[in-house]
Amino acid sequence: MSQLPIANLSQLIQAPMTTQMQGTSPEIAESFKSFMLQSIDHVNSMQQDADVAVQTLATGGDVNPAEVLTAVQKADMSFRMMMQIRNKLVQAFQEIRDIRI
Amino acid sequence: MISALDISTSALVAQRTRLNAISSNLANMSSIRDENGDVKPFKARYVVFQADDQLKTAHGAMGVRVASVETEDIEPQYKYEPNHPFAIKDGKWKGHVAYPKINMVREFTDAMEATRAYEANIGVMEITKSLGQQTLRILA
Amino acid sequence: MQSILSSSTVPILEQVLNFTEARHNVLAGNIANMDTPGYRVRDLSVEAFHDHLKEAISAREQGNEKISPGMGPTHKSDPIRQVKDSLKSILFHDDTDVSMEHQVAEMSKNQFMHNMAISIMTSQFRAMQVAISERV
Repeated sequence: MSQLPIANLSQLIQAPMTTQMQGTSPEIAESFKSFMLQSIDHVNSMQQDADVAVQTLATGGDVNPAEVLTAVQKADMSFRMMMQIRNKLVQAFQEIRDIRI
Repeated sequence: MISALDISTSALVAQRTRLNAISSNLANMSSIRDENGDVKPFKARYVVFQADDQLKTAHGAMGVRVASVETEDIEPQYKYEPNHPFAIKDGKWKGHVAYPKINMVREFTDAMEATRAYEANIGVMEITKSLGQQTLRILA
Repeated sequence: MQSILSSSTVPILEQVLNFTEARHNVLAGNIANMDTPGYRVRDLSVEAFHDHLKEAISAREQGNEKISPGMGPTHKSDPIRQVKDSLKSILFHDDTDVSMEHQVAEMSKNQFMHNMAISIMTSQFRAMQVAISERV
């Protein structure tokens, strides 16, 4: 569950970023790429936290149900935000690719 | 949230026990013989509640349990009935029959209080359940 | 698809749903048989279920290390699915508190667990759909 969409996203970022921004400033490309990868790691860790919380709740651990549900919802929302960012990037890439010189 | 239900349940069970004692008192208002058949007038019973140490949440909220069922030890009331087969043969109360002395008003008041407590605990359980349902709305 | 589903929390929640459904039926049977002479109150032990589930989860985690990472267990050997078979063994006669209030309160707690497992599972499936359809 947590592996599949994340793999999509990191492949996507490698390709357009390195080809487009090479001419201008590699430092900006580098920091943006690392920022994106950090965000993906953050989303992934939130998913894993939510998974652990659900597991603890299902096995009768000492966890507050409200906290578990909040963790699940936070993971869900941050995943959707990441998905939306990825869609926008794909869209931007396609627009740039369609520019006729 | 889940253990609040257990605490309310313990209260429901305790109040029901109390109501049972009260209804047995009222039912036996005129019983001049006890359960073994001896000629001893019925004595009113009452329950003693105690905060239950076993049913405790992490933050100290405690449930309730019935510690014991005590018998009230008061003098029976005597009515003069010399021709009654169970009249006392001799002594100070010769010719009298011993009847239980149950204060009906007090029993009824206790019953009302027990009913109100029962309803209040059911109300608390409703609130606890609705808290749980509202929590599920976090997930929208 | 099998490994995506089996490495998430969905199978665990599935077992929780099996358990809460079975327990609901047992508790409803208790309430229906309140006045039957000679009837002994029964219950499904929650602690035993939690223990079985914990064992199954750790068995699943250990199983994953032997095969290549990311590859989930097959249908038959999935330890989580075997928790369902153990449900029969955790039925017991509960003589501690046989009052009707206790049965109803247990049913209420059971229902809360059930609804929560359903809500979490629904949100997981919705998140998977977002990933598959790429439409947020």
